[in-house]
Amino acid sequence: MILGIDVGGTHTDAVCIDRGKVIAGAKALTGPDLVQSIHEVIDALDIEYTDIRRTILSTTLSTNSIIEKTFEPTGMIVSAGPGIHPSNYFLTGDFHLVAGAIDHRGREYIPLKRDEILGAARELKAKGIRGVGIVSKFSVRNPVHEAGIFSLIEKDFEHVSSGHSLSGHLNFPRRIHTTYFNTAVMPVQRRFVHSVSRALNELGIRSQLLFLKADGGTYSESAADKCPVETILSGPAASMMGGLALCSDPGTTTLVMDIGGTTTDIGVLIGGVPILEPKGVSIGGSKTLVRGLKVVSVGAGGDSCVSLKGREIVVGPNRQGPPACLGGPSPTPMDALSVLGSFPKGDKDKACNAVKEIALALGRDIRDVSKEIVALMISNIKESAREFLDEVNRYPVYTIYEMLHPEFVEPKQIMAIGGPAALLQPYLEDAFRMKCIVPEHATVANALGAALARTTTQITLMADTQLGKLICPELGIEEDASSSLTMERLKSKGIDALKKHIASQGFSGHIEVSVLEEQTFNIVRGFSSAGKNFRLKLQTKPGILDEWSVR
Amino acid sequence: MITAKRKTGLIFFPAYDWEISPTHPERQERLLYTQDQVMEEGVLDIEGIREFKAGFATEKDISRPHFCVPDVDSRITLSHNISAGGCIEAARLVLEGAVDNAFALVRPPGHHAMRVVQGARGFCNINIEAVMIEWVRKNYPRIKKIAVIDTDCHHGDGTQDVYWHDPNVLYISLHQDGRTLYPGSGFPEEFGGPNALGKTLNVPLPPRTSDEGMLYVIEHFVMPVLKEFGPDLVINSAGQDNHYSDPITNMAFTAGGYARLNEILSPHICVLEGGYSIEAALPYVNTGIILALAGVDYSYVREPDLNPMRIKEDPRIIEYIKGLVDRLLEMWRARDSYEVPEEGVLSERSRSLFYDTDGISENQKEVIRVCRQCPGAFKIDSFATTGYRIAGIHLPWGACPACREQGLKWFEKPGRENYYAVYLQDMDRDEYTVKLT
Repeated sequence: MILGIDVGGTHTDAVCIDRGKVIAGAKALTGPDLVQSIHEVIDALDIEYTDIRRTILSTTLSTNSIIEKTFEPTGMIVSAGPGIHPSNYFLTGDFHLVAGAIDHRGREYIPLKRDEILGAARELKAKGIRGVGIVSKFSVRNPVHEAGIFSLIEKDFEHVSSGHSLSGHLNFPRRIHTTYFNTAVMPVQRRFVHSVSRALNELGIRSQLLFLKADGGTYSESAADKCPVETILSGPAASMMGGLALCSDPGTTTLVMDIGGTTTDIGVLIGGVPILEPKGVSIGGSKTLVRGLKVVSVGAGGDSCVSLKGREIVVGPNRQGPPACLGGPSPTPMDALSVLGSFPKGDKDKACNAVKEIALALGRDIRDVSKEIVALMISNIKESAREFLDEVNRYPVYTIYEMLHPEFVEPKQIMAIGGPAALLQPYLEDAFRMKCIVPEHATVANALGAALARTTTQITLMADTQLGKLICPELGIEEDASSSLTMERLKSKGIDALKKHIASQGFSGHIEVSVLEEQTFNIVRGFSSAGKNFRLKLQTKPGILDEWSVR
Repeated sequence: MITAKRKTGLIFFPAYDWEISPTHPERQERLLYTQDQVMEEGVLDIEGIREFKAGFATEKDISRPHFCVPDVDSRITLSHNISAGGCIEAARLVLEGAVDNAFALVRPPGHHAMRVVQGARGFCNINIEAVMIEWVRKNYPRIKKIAVIDTDCHHGDGTQDVYWHDPNVLYISLHQDGRTLYPGSGFPEEFGGPNALGKTLNVPLPPRTSDEGMLYVIEHFVMPVLKEFGPDLVINSAGQDNHYSDPITNMAFTAGGYARLNEILSPHICVLEGGYSIEAALPYVNTGIILALAGVDYSYVREPDLNPMRIKEDPRIIEYIKGLVDRLLEMWRARDSYEVPEEGVLSERSRSLFYDTDGISENQKEVIRVCRQCPGAFKIDSFATTGYRIAGIHLPWGACPACREQGLKWFEKPGRENYYAVYLQDMDRDEYTVKLT
């Protein structure tokens, strides 16, 4: 059996899956103690726990810790060299800029200064700082400076992380943000994992514990321990994976919408795969290198507050509480649906009274106003979906081939999940002029998505035969590259390493590796070829476990 | 987080699948290390700097500034469509107001391509700036006066040729002295055709000119001339081969110097031209230019091996440049007092051209109607070793009735029987006709 748990801002959902079927689902309110909420929702499932062999958790823990800045003070030691001045990226007062520079091919041209680094470490330690992030420019081309700093300070701090191990992508500012957040959430994550493991143990659940990442894939407890930052924004990722799992024809380009109380998350499935944010996700206004699904969140949900701005009705973007018909303070789209007779729950009189205030102020009919409220909510969603697709279709391309073969993304159907999805289905179909599917289990789709997500990884391999170097920063591979290296050989090496890495995380199923990017260039000195520069990005795509084939 | 002072659009099209040959300077990975540097510096995450997709220049777009012989398709590859299309996209973004300025970081380059295209010269098949400029004039008639400042190390003889007779396009080229470098032209005496005297200006700089000398020319010559000309659109042909590390030139300009140049010039559009130090210069020069365009501090951008003392100019070079600028300013100020033939006179020039990239020779005879009312109609007779002999007739934007009549007469009776084809560029009507004879 598989247990999937999604700890969201308002609700904690859980599902239990056995032989490809949902055998139980439950919801509980999320309290201040997340472990307590997890405990409660598992209790509510009311199942026999002993058969559970996988437990997958998606939580808002690291996301909230970063957005609310509740993490403990964290230091940074960064070497940059010339370029845009790194002071632009000082996220903390405990940011130490040290000497050292590496160029775009990974050649060192300004060495580190040992004493300067030790001095920075002493200063951080004296302030009682326990966690330090280490970053150098172009460390993914040559991690020698990050490794050098690491070996000098490692013994002095409890939590240390290095930029190159978190992502193989180029982007120094994002590397700084990513490494800082990763280090900052390490203690929170460690405490949480410890308590969850104990709680599961107490319940008699002795299963493998996995975490959902922003890219809609899972990783092991030990991997999460090193790279906790990858769990940020796993909520929207759970939605998209839930949408994917419940989609009966995932090959069709599909808009997935998770319509919640406060917001609606929108993403797109292309060829059965949710699309990724090309450079990395943003959190709390900071851009990171964390691989994540491309999801846009719009402030339009079932409980969005409806107000008047002059003579104009405005829906959202905030939520003030539950809908008026459920005892809330202001009218919401759910109240409008209640007036229109689509929402059977709650107190219809309260809904009418709330909408009536707006109708009276405008001197209009209450049903008329209700229709407009729903239409406005849907049009907010539609507008965001349109911008989202425009952005995807504007991604620049760099080769003639891609210019001639543009892949235009145009969804053919909508998959709507979340509480109000079923009620809004006819309105969505009408506004988008396409089929809108609201699947079974739509209300616990997030937990389902977490439960069924496959393990994902992405690695970068770079080989420079002139410098005789081969490197894979994410896996810590650094070796000599022979002058006879070919792309084919590099690829098979990378695939082996990636499979080994995934297997080491306890994943035993079939692993399908795909090439994300592949480039070969000549290195020319004078007017003759002096070597080759190979660049390769491999991944295992986000996807749904094979056993969920019952659909 | 950094916020740009100006909204800057970037069209990046490295054409990773196009090359002249695998070890040719104009090869696939020319912009690879630039892309690495720009990405690692996080330039595209700066608030206000945005990357846009390149577009396609159509056959018509290319026919506006060129007589392609025998036709457009056989003279270009798809990469040229896209590199010129990238420039058009940059112009569109600026003129639509989506951005304050834009940089077309595209290849292949174009500034050696002349009006008649019998083959490729100096790695260029079509003139991507000219294709862009003519597209702008067609689509944004409010843009009347355009200035092109060419800071590539090689004289932009192609752009000079396309606008030789055009009084509304000011072409200023700063380059290494033609006595020491390809294409061997670009001297102060090359001053524009009889209807456009002073609208072609050449600043041949001595080898080893560095930041001080280049920036002196920009501040003391280019800027005052621009102020007087009053362009509606300023374009920088941003070749990067003046760099001290460039393998095929002999100048000593730096990334910081290029950034400062663009800060002073503040062009609406930058178009990448040459620049073949793909590892040691381009990554830093391009980063510097983008930051300067966006108004972001570039003062810490510099090359790893920069040694300012080693590349500083000899004081004699600065003296020479000051003298050259004085002389050029004098010529510029006197531009209206030079003697030109009477209106209606047909003025002729003949020359021999060589297409080095393709190994083609061409003889040209050009006749222009001297005119005070419009830029003047002209006819080019071109005969190349490819065997193609053609006549090209150009009716300029705002052609006066007399010039229109003259041009159409040439088109009707080009003067010889054995032309492969006769071409007509009718700018005002946006019609480009080829008549096979």
